[in-house]
Amino acid sequence: MAGGASAADVRSILSLPASSTPGPSQSKKSATSTKKPEGISRELYSLIGASAPTLAAQVAKPRLKQKPNLGGGGKVKWQWRNFKNGARTDGLELGHWVKAHTDPDAEYPFAKYNVKGTEYTYSQDDYTRLLEDPAWSKEETDYLFSLVQEFDSRFYIVADRYEYPGGTERSMEDLKDRYYSVCRKLIRNRPWAGDEASKSQLISSFQFDKDREVTRKKYLSSLEDRTPEQLAEEEALYVELKRLEQTERRFKKERDELLRTLAGVDSGLPDLPFDEDGPLGDPKKRKNGRLAELESPATPSSATFAAPPPRRAQSARSIAYDALHLISRTDPPPASASTTKASHQAATLRSFKIAYPKSAVAAKVTQVVAELGVSLNRLVVPSRDTLAQHEALLEAASALVETKKVVDRVDQDIRVARARLGLRESEGAETPMEVDGEGGGSAPAVLPEESRAQSVVSTRSARSRKPTGASRRSGSVSSVDASVTSTTRAGTKRQKLS
Amino acid sequence: MSQDRVRVRGLTIHRPIIYGNTATLLTPAERELLPSPDHTHRWTVAVRSAASDDEGTRVGGKDDLSYFIKRVTFKLHETYTNSTRNIDKPPFEVTETGWGEFEIQIRIHFIPESGEKAILLYHHLKLHPWSATGTDSDVPPPPDVAAALGPVHSWQYDEIVFFDPFQQFLNTLTAHPPTPLPKTRRRPVPFHTANPASLAESRGGVPEFWAGMEKDEVERLERARKKVIAEQETWRTKLIEKEKELERLKRELGES
Repeated sequence: MAGGASAADVRSILSLPASSTPGPSQSKKSATSTKKPEGISRELYSLIGASAPTLAAQVAKPRLKQKPNLGGGGKVKWQWRNFKNGARTDGLELGHWVKAHTDPDAEYPFAKYNVKGTEYTYSQDDYTRLLEDPAWSKEETDYLFSLVQEFDSRFYIVADRYEYPGGTERSMEDLKDRYYSVCRKLIRNRPWAGDEASKSQLISSFQFDKDREVTRKKYLSSLEDRTPEQLAEEEALYVELKRLEQTERRFKKERDELLRTLAGVDSGLPDLPFDEDGPLGDPKKRKNGRLAELESPATPSSATFAAPPPRRAQSARSIAYDALHLISRTDPPPASASTTKASHQAATLRSFKIAYPKSAVAAKVTQVVAELGVSLNRLVVPSRDTLAQHEALLEAASALVETKKVVDRVDQDIRVARARLGLRESEGAETPMEVDGEGGGSAPAVLPEESRAQSVVSTRSARSRKPTGASRRSGSVSSVDASVTSTTRAGTKRQKLS
Repeated sequence: MSQDRVRVRGLTIHRPIIYGNTATLLTPAERELLPSPDHTHRWTVAVRSAASDDEGTRVGGKDDLSYFIKRVTFKLHETYTNSTRNIDKPPFEVTETGWGEFEIQIRIHFIPESGEKAILLYHHLKLHPWSATGTDSDVPPPPDVAAALGPVHSWQYDEIVFFDPFQQFLNTLTAHPPTPLPKTRRRPVPFHTANPASLAESRGGVPEFWAGMEKDEVERLERARKKVIAEQETWRTKLIEKEKELERLKRELGES
């Protein structure tokens, strides 16, 4: 503004006649103001002049976006329509208002948001091999998983509803810890369909540090639980601390100045430590001491951060070099381990390293692999990648074969159990009332019929049958089935809500 | 010099090779000129570099492998005179005539600087055209059909892997970087029994190894693995269901 006020302005303000010989500023201004671009104030323009075209363009008056044309300006027609949610399984029809011009047969747009998390399941065999935990029984783990499944991994609800009969009190952290650790173990120990990176990524997404979580929550709650007095005290302490810091800084500065005037230039330090022996002891020595002291705490951290990971950091050029010469590098084993000539691994053909299944399952694995049209021990291009893939395939196939074996064994057990049950029932047929007595159901006469029927049909059909005839009598047969029933029922409820 | 005899630890270097044979059916006129007219085919068994030269007259062999291979010994069927053939300079190959297929023992000796022992591998001499199943139990097609199909190629890609090579040997190897396989498919692919689907692609001329074959195989194996894992999932569900049933049965047994 000050720069823009020219002699002419002053004149006009003071109501003086314009001077006959206009000053240089006057002529300049009139010359430039004619070219002044749109949307820039006169004062600003006279400041920046014409030499800033880009700036001028930016400062140009912002043009508002054209208003979006909503609904063609006219009235919008709405219509009450019934619709079906594709995400529902019960086919419930609800109604809602929609714009009349939308396609009535279109899929319900919110159906796609009904996503389910991956369900992790494990068999008895998996459990005994991987998931044993002294603090948890399999039944309780099953119960936890059913709850997590039912409530869509919403752990607050899970922890709230968690009520395992005869179990110990479990905090939400306990539940999370158990659930996530089981998932991690399952992922880690199962053949993985994707690549290694996605596997470790998934595992890390199931990472859970119970102690840390507990500490965090404790800290948060202590933070929340402060009384107003404590808050005020904290505030006061903080202010006090700031004040002290400031005083100390000032004090230090003054002391340094004093030192400098006393000891002259060769003390030469901006901040000498305060020393009872007197400021003129031995500045050099003290400096070293001070520096060492300063460095010692800093060293470990700087070493860990600054030191590059040895050998890993390869330049792009050396990678290209290795690729050209078909070199691969691994970290050399400790020198002591392989200095002898005997430990040297002889040159070999890549194909000699093709993986072979464990002999116990070899025959079955061969069969599985052959069904997929893959040769067991021959590769078109035996290279590191193909060998790794091949090995992963064999691992997966072995796991499949093992699973099938376990299924066979369980099948056998089921057959035995059924045979025994059949025997028992034919023996005990004359005393059905006693059997029912234990169940204590409301309809004791029906129970033997029911239980016999269930022993013949598979669990699946029993499960699907239950919600229809949802009287409590089914609960007496087994607690597992009871929980299944409640799961399905609650599941329906949730879907209705969503 | 002492520096050269030091092993470079933690380093693995490999060289792609192919080994196998090409066989051509002889015409009656050619057969008459032979010392043993019962021979029906002329074949060449060889160890070569994986990359082919640009002319495409033969499979592989663009690079001279003698910088690290000193000698290749081919042990033919005993009925051949001098059945053990030592080839000390490139090309490492033996051309013969014959009437039957048999196993050829190939021993690759490395140059002394490598400090490595010779490695032994086997190749089944292939004279008769590939069939869709790729099995040898098939009856070979009649001569006229076989002649129409052209020369038979049976080649196996492989990689010779050196672990912790001597510095000097490593220098020798890095002085001869192998020609990379072509990035695109220029000619038919070599047929391999592990990939019967490649039969159609292998027809129509001298085949050539190319870079896509490895990727192709990785994908093939990955698809198979995904299938296996999907299968495993269904079996696991089955297993869990069965276990639940078993548990229920046991409880019933215990109750009654």
